[in-house]
Amino acid sequence: MALAPALPPSPEAAPAEPSFDRLVADLDGLFQQGVGEALDEPAFNGWALRVFRWQFEHNTAFRGYCLGRDATPATVTSWEDVPAVPTGAFKRLRLLSAEEGREPDAVFHTSGTSRTERRGEHLVASLRLYRSALLPTFRVQLLPDGARLPVLALVPSPQDAPRSSLSYMIGAASETFGAEGGGWFAAADGELQKDGLLRAVEAAIDAGGPVLIAATAFAMAHWLDGLARDGLRFVLPEGSRVMETGGFKGRVRGVSRADLYDGIVARLGIPMNRVVNEYGMTEMLSQFYEPVLDRFQASDAGLGDRLHIGPPWVRTRVLDPVSLALVPDGEPGLLCHHDLANLGSVACLLTEDMGVAVADGFRLLGRLPGAEPRGCSLAIEELLDAAQAT
Amino acid sequence: MSEPFDGWAVPPGSLTDLALIEEGGVRYPVLDAGAARALLAGLRSAREDALLRDSAHERARLLGRVGARFLDPADPLRQEAEERLPATADLSPEMARAVIEGMARDWTGERLTGLLASELPQPEALDRFVPRPGGGRTRAFAPALSFHVGAGTVPGVSATSMLRGLLLGSATLVKPGVGDVVLPVLLARALAEEAPRLASALAVLYWSGGSGERAESVALETSDLVVAYGGDATVRSLRERLPVTTPLVAYHHRLSVALVGRSALSQERLPAAAAALARAVALFDQRGCVSPHAVLVEQGGEAGALELAEALASELERLHRELPPTHPAPSQASAIHQLRRTSELRRAAGENIELHAGPGASWTVVLESSANLEPSCLGRTVRVHSVADALDAPDLLKSVGRHLQTVGVAGLGERVEEVAAALGKVGAVRICPLGEVPFPPPWWHHDGRGPLSVLLRWVDLEG
Repeated sequence: MALAPALPPSPEAAPAEPSFDRLVADLDGLFQQGVGEALDEPAFNGWALRVFRWQFEHNTAFRGYCLGRDATPATVTSWEDVPAVPTGAFKRLRLLSAEEGREPDAVFHTSGTSRTERRGEHLVASLRLYRSALLPTFRVQLLPDGARLPVLALVPSPQDAPRSSLSYMIGAASETFGAEGGGWFAAADGELQKDGLLRAVEAAIDAGGPVLIAATAFAMAHWLDGLARDGLRFVLPEGSRVMETGGFKGRVRGVSRADLYDGIVARLGIPMNRVVNEYGMTEMLSQFYEPVLDRFQASDAGLGDRLHIGPPWVRTRVLDPVSLALVPDGEPGLLCHHDLANLGSVACLLTEDMGVAVADGFRLLGRLPGAEPRGCSLAIEELLDAAQAT
Repeated sequence: MSEPFDGWAVPPGSLTDLALIEEGGVRYPVLDAGAARALLAGLRSAREDALLRDSAHERARLLGRVGARFLDPADPLRQEAEERLPATADLSPEMARAVIEGMARDWTGERLTGLLASELPQPEALDRFVPRPGGGRTRAFAPALSFHVGAGTVPGVSATSMLRGLLLGSATLVKPGVGDVVLPVLLARALAEEAPRLASALAVLYWSGGSGERAESVALETSDLVVAYGGDATVRSLRERLPVTTPLVAYHHRLSVALVGRSALSQERLPAAAAALARAVALFDQRGCVSPHAVLVEQGGEAGALELAEALASELERLHRELPPTHPAPSQASAIHQLRRTSELRRAAGENIELHAGPGASWTVVLESSANLEPSCLGRTVRVHSVADALDAPDLLKSVGRHLQTVGVAGLGERVEEVAAALGKVGAVRICPLGEVPFPPPWWHHDGRGPLSVLLRWVDLEG
């Protein structure tokens, strides 16, 4: 398919986008070029303005929001001027940017940190676009050697958890890149199927073939605890690797990242430089990874030195939490992601995650706990939990 | 950078040769279990001579003489408080001044005597058996040693708690929270100068979670009563660590709201209501348990929620200059921007919402369409809801009843008692005029219980 060239940055002259599917096809073409191909600033800007225009014209709430901020396709000439939508808005609104009457392909729910927290919903207009964004990134960051590995997933299967974007993502990746011997080792409620997992690990060791373990930090910590309790230690075959995600933002039952990784090394025999953190969110269809396998295969960079990078179709800015202006280089701030893969919802996302920009990526400092009220004022969670209990 | 603040005041001669730690501008000693035991034994044995030789009235007079010094802007003690409070309590200098003024108002001899009179109609019951109306006699015993654990959210709370203990004649150990170190320490130091005998049964000592664990364990094991301010989790943890026989007076998390009735919504009265409300929201940068999270506005008045929200916004903007906030923490600012922008989007999506916001992350008023009460993310953030009738308010507050504290009211006229009863039924413990919200009087039923009587143990002598 021929790639649509980036449009010139004069949106008034730009023709209206013919259809969602056409834009999806164009973006799909861009993503197919792969993760290795950088997208220069004018090219990214051109794509971002096309996406902005689409969303402005096909998402009533977003359009009103932009009008309130004097941002229209006629006035916005730089992607940095597209109004950022707070991730919290997904908890209150259906943010679908598609032709009227079009139903989303899928609806994913955010997990929430407490049982009473309001959940966010990401209406995904096109799963095709999700796949075409997630697969090349996954391949480059987890399978740069071109390996096809059994995927041992410590998350529920997409059938068991149809609202989980993580399950969908791991499902799409193992379908595409996986090999015999993998499986899903968590029930719908997240409960680990430890016996099955044990058999899969032993089978991999017997066969001498490497595996890819995909897990949330929480599930991994839980599994490692169990192995420690049972006094079990394995050395998984050379070339095995781990993708862990979702930890260290909010609460992971007080386990530090260093302890978790030490546990992986000690109990599974997978070296630290083969453990990759994925940073993603339900509200966003592209992912960030630590490029440890891709770039630093031989290095043992300390955990504190690790950075996250995204695919070329994502730009991340670091903003001052108070003024929301760009912070000077090297200063910590709120991460604001601009993800072209979010065509069907909103592309520019203001997160509650803190980070520092470095080289071509950022160092993740963690998720802010939300305004944690101090002292005798009320902790929101406690209040909601108490209300629930009544 | 100014010198760190010495976050302790102990009787002379105790705690010598201790290692000091510095943290967040506060310097404090680290006590091992032995030093903590010795300190507490010293307070306990000093009590008889230090506190019990005087009557409660005399103690009120002595304590009040020192407390009143914080009200005199020319007094060096007040000046030191003003100088030290902003950095340690994370308040602007203007706010620090307002907080000192408001808190110290209750530390005078007159107010402390009033507190005694209100709580103990026969204050001599603290000194001897007094006859009871129904027959027999009774006498009140204060805890020999009380341990006060502060939260640190609002400066002055620990000092007030300390005064309650001393007033009753209890040897007192105060562990303030980090944001509330200055006032109890300065008060204790001034007491040591002006009423040294009394101060020999008093220690104020800051420590942080890790470094103070041993001292804290000793204090929890040996005290006769513990008073604790803090989050639900803190209170729960203290409860678990206390001997089962030691009473715990716990002031856990609280949430407050305001209710504005029809007759406060006239052209003439609206500005005053909005001004008082804004001040209640802004004081302590909304960190107080008394700070309103939401405002319920009654329909059917000359003006309504829309106008009140506007007036509240312009008052908050004025207070932003008059009582400026400090630089918000990233988590606070982030939560505020999430709320503001989500409100903009909800409005754009057709919900009936108005957003008023100050510069940066300074203050925020959201006129809500939903009747669901949500706690504020603080930082002078308040939601305004419309209710058909003031008597509908209690129903909306039911969900937060267990944490509900103050309901600031205006414009209820003769209905105030009926509405107050309904609010009390769902959990509120204080209904007061909007202007009084930030500073309850010393004799208020603190979270529903008498501030002194809750500390006492009564001994009945029958026959």
